[in-house]
Amino acid sequence: MKKLIKQGNQTGLIFGIVLIFLILFGLTTTLSEIVGDFLKLSSNARASNTGGLMVLFALAGLWAGSRVDDAEKSDLKSTLTFGVSAGIVIGLFIGIFILLVGYLDSVDVEMRAYLAQLDHQSVLFLLFGRSIAAGSLISFGIFSVFGTLGGLLTFTLETRKAGEYVQEQIFTVKGKVLGSKLAKQYQSNPRSKWIGYGVLAIVVFLMPQFIGRYWNYAMGTVGIYVLMGLGLNIVVGLAGLLDLGYVAFFAIGAYVLGLLTAPEPIALTLGFWPVLILSVVIAAFAGIILGIPVLRMRGDYLAIVTLGFGEIIRVLIRSDMMAPYLGGPQGIRDIGGPSIFGWNLSTEKGYLYLIFLGIIITIILTNFIQSSRVGRAWMAMREDETVAQAMGINTFYYKLMAFATGAAFAGLGGALFAARNQYTGPADHTLMVSINVLCLLIVGGMGSVPGIIVGAFVLKGLPEVLRELDIYRMLVFGGLLVYMMIIRPEGLWPAPRRKMELHLDEPDDLPTDESLVGYEG
Amino acid sequence: MSILETRNVTKRFGGLSAVDNVSIQIPKGSIYSIIGPNGAGKTTLYNCITGFYPADEGDMLFQGESLLGLSPDKITRKGISRTYQNIRLFPAMTALENILVGAHPQLKSNYVDAILHTPRQKREEKQALQDAQELLNFVELTGKGDLLARNLPYGEQRRLEMARALANKPAIILLDEPTAGMNPNESVIMMRFIETLRDKLGITILLIEHDMKVVMGISEFIYVLDFGQLIAKGTPGEIQNNPQVIESYLGRGDV
Repeated sequence: MKKLIKQGNQTGLIFGIVLIFLILFGLTTTLSEIVGDFLKLSSNARASNTGGLMVLFALAGLWAGSRVDDAEKSDLKSTLTFGVSAGIVIGLFIGIFILLVGYLDSVDVEMRAYLAQLDHQSVLFLLFGRSIAAGSLISFGIFSVFGTLGGLLTFTLETRKAGEYVQEQIFTVKGKVLGSKLAKQYQSNPRSKWIGYGVLAIVVFLMPQFIGRYWNYAMGTVGIYVLMGLGLNIVVGLAGLLDLGYVAFFAIGAYVLGLLTAPEPIALTLGFWPVLILSVVIAAFAGIILGIPVLRMRGDYLAIVTLGFGEIIRVLIRSDMMAPYLGGPQGIRDIGGPSIFGWNLSTEKGYLYLIFLGIIITIILTNFIQSSRVGRAWMAMREDETVAQAMGINTFYYKLMAFATGAAFAGLGGALFAARNQYTGPADHTLMVSINVLCLLIVGGMGSVPGIIVGAFVLKGLPEVLRELDIYRMLVFGGLLVYMMIIRPEGLWPAPRRKMELHLDEPDDLPTDESLVGYEG
Repeated sequence: MSILETRNVTKRFGGLSAVDNVSIQIPKGSIYSIIGPNGAGKTTLYNCITGFYPADEGDMLFQGESLLGLSPDKITRKGISRTYQNIRLFPAMTALENILVGAHPQLKSNYVDAILHTPRQKREEKQALQDAQELLNFVELTGKGDLLARNLPYGEQRRLEMARALANKPAIILLDEPTAGMNPNESVIMMRFIETLRDKLGITILLIEHDMKVVMGISEFIYVLDFGQLIAKGTPGEIQNNPQVIESYLGRGDV
């Protein structure tokens, strides 16, 4: 019993601390607004929308109260003890915190100087619009009650084996679907793969017609990141070259297209299509030029040097020195758009189709190259550069080719991005772009095309869905990355090979691994 | 005429001469061995021949041409393959892919072929896959082509490394302790296998080996290194009775 109280208190403590952090970030305010909107609670003013906050607190309490050890779940007394002790601790924590904050606010201490989110409005909000004592008591009450309820709920669910029941149902349905005649026919038909692709193609073709301008734009952004992810996948995933300055090629693509089609600062205003191809070629060429000095380095050194290169490009396009040629901090406006047979493509829809086309071409090329002599040479370099060279692979040449290929894809992404916005400037080409692309690779699954698409959706699409949470994206990113590295290092939708590498093969401790693979024995 | 020759090769690390003025000649179609205690400079000599360490002095000739100043990949493309003392496969690639990487110098399709998937590339790829499969069968790894190299047992990894070296269709293969970590039975099988390479494929063999049974049973001629220097050379019979060799292996006995 004592043990359970202790565990409950610890859980409560953790929840309390995390919640206070969330409050300090202002995340509770945003979340409760979302919850409030969702539940159609009164939403006439921010400070009065306290129903959402209550629901949020209640959910947190429930969650905390239900976190008792599996072994104890079948005993009502245990789960209740745990729930009550956890609930009370969180209640005390948050209650005292709110009491303190409320008091400080009432004596006119300017907390915002230290904690940006704690303005008077927010404090009122945390007090549910009531007096200090009442507000903190309500918090305490919510947590205690719902912590207890959480404990009770665990017991009920456990004894009813509700979880197992649901699972069973899911399996039955899954079994029925998979066992059905249609599914069997589908699986046994060798052409089923093509049918799948066909359905996908139709969906992709029809989707832009129905989802509206805003979503066409949002999907376009996701698509551009898919393009860049595919490119970086060749550099990092296949050839094993950690490139943190990937945004440089994105910028080069964008600027080539911008400079040659916009009326300012260079009044060339060439046609869109030839310039699009040119921007891809120039980006690839830039990859080669850059690669020559940089690619003699390995591993961490390469990462640092490329990081620096990305920044150099950004500083250069921002600089006043280059402003007469590159547009300076204002960037380039009125970038030309595409049309085909007199048919204007410069709409959100048109660009989305263009981006889809780019992705399809890129995927096909990636697949070709991956299963070729060149792709194998890249993989061999990633595995062991020294031995790869001993196999007759000209490592320098192949590194350059990997760099150039990745750069070309980034250039295409950048050119489409600039044309779609009809504008490009230094702010589009920050380090965050490189990091985003690398993150989507890691989250989605290195070396896996579906993984890259899923990763791009998670990192660029989800923030569009949850616009209110946009400012917390970095917070979520960080958490997500740490979580992924621990729980699913192979990514959300890994390539079969990566999965094979990271799991399943436990006889890894054999003394044939890297640990022993020294060069000079 | 010798297929591979080193002339007074010297390699120093700081003040230490890891290889000191070593000259060896390997005739075509032979099986020669290099023996010597640990740290005698055997692997360093291999690294000099394959271009990973530039030799400080001397010259290496392959089929009469100097290898001096060539990068490792160029040397491999001339027809010199090697294996490593500690197996160095590409662990996260499949067995078949490992062999295909080994065949890299044999394949001609370039970057453009690869990215456009030209008919030429398809044809070549098909042939390469077939050849790799044959090599896989040759080293008795039939059916294991799709396993990751790191998941193969030790003995099979050794054989796979051999197959990868053979995929280059080399004229000479430098083996670095091919029977390390094997029991006497396996060693005998490996010995027979090495002889097959020479007899059936006509590949010249140079061998670093510690197992005296293997060395004496298989070699036509033996070079002995100690502290980087060539201290003896001769047929297995001569080496076995050479007092200097016995001394370097067993230490000086004050009789």
